[in-house]
Amino acid sequence: MLITPEDVQKIILAYKRYSTYQFDDYSEKSFTRRVEKILIDYKLDIPSYINRLRSDKEFLEQSMKDITVNTTELFRDPKIWHTLKFRVLPRYSEQDSINIWHAGCSTGQEVYSLMILLNEMDLLEKANIYASDINEDVLEVARSGEYKYRFNLDYLENYNQVIKKNPYNFDEFKDVPFEKYFDVDKSKDRMKAKSFLRQKPLFRKQNLVAQNNVFYTKFDLILCRNVLIYFNYELQNKTIDFFHSLLFNKGSLVLGVHESMLGPIASKYIKKGIYYIKK
Amino acid sequence: MNDKIIVIGGSAGSFQIITKILSELPKKFPYPIFLCLHRLKHVRTGFIEALTIKSNLNVIEPEDKVHIKSGNIYLAPANYHMYLELGNIISLSTEPAVNHSRPAIDLTFSSAAFNYKTKVVGIILSGANRDGANGIADVHKEGGITIAQSLEECQVRTMPEAAINATEIDYVYTSDEIISYLLKL
Repeated sequence: MLITPEDVQKIILAYKRYSTYQFDDYSEKSFTRRVEKILIDYKLDIPSYINRLRSDKEFLEQSMKDITVNTTELFRDPKIWHTLKFRVLPRYSEQDSINIWHAGCSTGQEVYSLMILLNEMDLLEKANIYASDINEDVLEVARSGEYKYRFNLDYLENYNQVIKKNPYNFDEFKDVPFEKYFDVDKSKDRMKAKSFLRQKPLFRKQNLVAQNNVFYTKFDLILCRNVLIYFNYELQNKTIDFFHSLLFNKGSLVLGVHESMLGPIASKYIKKGIYYIKK
Repeated sequence: MNDKIIVIGGSAGSFQIITKILSELPKKFPYPIFLCLHRLKHVRTGFIEALTIKSNLNVIEPEDKVHIKSGNIYLAPANYHMYLELGNIISLSTEPAVNHSRPAIDLTFSSAAFNYKTKVVGIILSGANRDGANGIADVHKEGGITIAQSLEECQVRTMPEAAINATEIDYVYTSDEIISYLLKL
């Protein structure tokens, strides 16, 4: 460890003073590591870091982006996607519309994965897709729907598992080519989501800690995966309560595979295996 | 809280050693154990079951922010880093790989050293990269006990060798010696 907990407190205080970003309730270890990385990458010490935060707005914004973690993959954890396909989405399939929010969507792979699944279930048309992140840069990538092909190559197998196969019936096989949803240019190592997918979601910047609903609507389904692990216990509970207030009755919440509700907030939801329903 | 915290890092060639150690520890082993093992990214299921079969203790892939309990064995989940936090809590993270690894042994070891100082026993087993060397150096710096698997016994010696070169290692032990050391704690 290069820096002390006192140093970390000084940095948190500086962000609070010079911006609206509040890192008080972030998980200590990962936050500390991100700050250390900034110190190394920008060749700063604690006083000069604080000084830059005070005097350099651009640095402040960039460093916030460096602190927040962005990990997402197409169809990450097929088990979750099977649950969405066979357990969660059918609950809302008879409704006239389905409101879905990806909270902390990063570069958007999960957003596109869900739209593909919805399309295969003939639900895309009636779905309203909302997605938010604290980082404008990753939202820009998400809006473009353009990714490295090779980077995602591993996840073609996940696509096959979720879209082509049925874990409850091994004889079932639906041959849906990947190219139905993405234009792939292998020579440039790029792939781009088809425009009917790209034009569908509404992407907006949002700081989950500030708890403002930037979409002015309620939701049938909220996905927030591997975001809460960066929050401490108190902030996790507050955020799950915030989600509760934004879900329609019987709405569903999907967290990351290794995230769960540990506090009193759990009593406001019914746990259904790996997803939660608002009581 | 506990008198000891045991952290074990392993990679290529460590799986048999780990199962052997776990099978020899009694049901009432009084300290928590943290396992940070590299595994192939697509091998996400079946691993914990394989570890559990021979163990008398409870092997868990922890969820984020759970409280540490003595006698549990915590296995870093595939594709997540595992930290030990103040307040005897485990936290997970999907930050980029460190030493090409997620979970990274360095992160688990360093966070254990930072919070538990002299209570830590850090053990580096067989493996093909240098992950864990910085972490075990932190364990030593904070006054914990450092152990490396004997190079003769290792299937792949790169990892314990890197540990030995990175810091003062208290004991270089075979797996049998590691087991009898743990039993005497």
